[in-house]
Amino acid sequence: MRYIKIYLTCVRIAFSQAAAYRTDFILGNVITLLSNILFPLVTVVIYANGAEFPGWTMWEVLLIQSVFSMSNGLSAMLTNGVLWVTFDHIREGSFEIVLLKPLPPLFYLMAINFSTGSLGHFAGGLVLTIVSALNSGADACGIPAFLLLFAAGTAVMCGLDLIMAAISFKWVGNSRIPEIFDSISEFGKYPLGIFPKPLRILAAFVIPVAVVGFFPASALLGRSESYMLLAVIPCAVFLAFGIWLYNRMIKRYEGVGG
Amino acid sequence: MQAIRVDDLTKTYTTYKRDSGFAAALKSFFRREKVTVNAVDGVSFTIEQGTVCGILGPNGAGKSTTIKMLCGALFPTSGNIDVLGFSPARDRAKYVHRIGAVFGQKSQLIFDIPPIDSFVMNKAIYGISDDEYKKRLGEMTEMFGVGDVIYKPTRVLSLGERMKCEFIMSMLHAPEIVFLDEPTIGLDVIAKNKIREVISEMNRNGTTFILTTHDLEDVEQLADNVIIINHGKKVFDAPLEKLKNTLGSRKMIDLTLAKPFPGSEINGVPVTAGDDELHISLEIDVGERSITEFLSTLASYAEFTDISVKSLPMDAIITRIYTE
Repeated sequence: MRYIKIYLTCVRIAFSQAAAYRTDFILGNVITLLSNILFPLVTVVIYANGAEFPGWTMWEVLLIQSVFSMSNGLSAMLTNGVLWVTFDHIREGSFEIVLLKPLPPLFYLMAINFSTGSLGHFAGGLVLTIVSALNSGADACGIPAFLLLFAAGTAVMCGLDLIMAAISFKWVGNSRIPEIFDSISEFGKYPLGIFPKPLRILAAFVIPVAVVGFFPASALLGRSESYMLLAVIPCAVFLAFGIWLYNRMIKRYEGVGG
Repeated sequence: MQAIRVDDLTKTYTTYKRDSGFAAALKSFFRREKVTVNAVDGVSFTIEQGTVCGILGPNGAGKSTTIKMLCGALFPTSGNIDVLGFSPARDRAKYVHRIGAVFGQKSQLIFDIPPIDSFVMNKAIYGISDDEYKKRLGEMTEMFGVGDVIYKPTRVLSLGERMKCEFIMSMLHAPEIVFLDEPTIGLDVIAKNKIREVISEMNRNGTTFILTTHDLEDVEQLADNVIIINHGKKVFDAPLEKLKNTLGSRKMIDLTLAKPFPGSEINGVPVTAGDDELHISLEIDVGERSITEFLSTLASYAEFTDISVKSLPMDAIITRIYTE
């Protein structure tokens, strides 16, 4: 109960912080919302020109991409702030400010760095998911599996953020590492069948980015396969590993000269 | 009663060294020279509850590293720390509930919004009741005279206003021990005095303060005890009075001359140049020779229009201890 109260207070403060620059706050969310609505344009153009992802209709592919976007937005709200703030604290040697709070550092950073800017990202994804689901004949029976896989996919994205943040305790100032992980996560935006088999295994079980968009969308479309639910396990492992590694690396924190 | 006990505390860092210039930068890209730094090297001390302890030392001496270990923010390489019965780094989450800290160069306030929002966040984090929060906030804003300031965005506050708010932020939960790392750095005299007044007031009410500073006035006005650290080692640990008496048998004689004095010593006492050629200083050890006898002969060596005899200033004492 105490933690929920703290989290809600911090989220409220995060909104006050974002609203301190009103134009930036409104513009930022509108731009994110628009870019989320516009990103499926490439898919629309591909299908409009007679090309396709074999075996997948345009609305089905759009569903995969919008679920991916929604999961990305949610994980960004929860943990993306932790990543960038950790980078800054480590480089400036100010992480002790975090350690002075009588809370688990990871929880405190997640609460105080709740990313209001990602609301637009999440909302854009949600709207497109609903529209795509309605147009692609999604099956309501798939909703439980969808929710499970969606949570698993969000866990992967959060785990990736935490692993990258943890790495910065050792390799200070590597702010471009996220670009590598962003590129890897792109695999989750497309039907897995279009990739060669080694990549499919990699995206399903090793760095399970297929669970971010493709697997939950498949569940909603009634096209899921039994092995997909198995991928929940590596997702949970990914998140647990991210949390464990982050907490472990805090002990390595040495600060800079006072 | 002991609030803090530190035994044989050591903190070792590994860092990298390289020369300046492009070639050195290129070389270090492939091969970096590792350097081990003993930031704190076998330091032991105790601090009594309800006192103010000043930790002094030149830049890079290990003061801030010591404070960070005492706060639980850094794990010691070896040695033991006991603060209020806690091992700070190991028991961090429980322990930090009972301490406060102000780092003069690192802000705990949220930059874009007014301090009052940061205070509300700490209220939730520390589980301060509504009544207690109102009471403490009212008392502290009155003490610091920042009733209106706390409603302005932090980014528009002056350094002095911000530091006062940093203090409030760190003390809202009524900590038993407060660590202050250079709390008056960069502040004007009025802000410094206000902060010192509040520290004295809170200390009278039982709060223990541990203070690192380069401002010796902070120490002279606040500290009961002084610990001096140099090159990671403790070189002095005693009450403030003892520090003043360390070189207490030495007196400084400042002279304003009627005309320049060409010599380098007066009656065997070396001459130190002052601001200009008409101002000189003489440092005399009154334990070794009579000041009455020295002063009675002084006029025969140099013609002067003004004279003052005073104890050695604190900064001279400290500098002497650093360099010894």
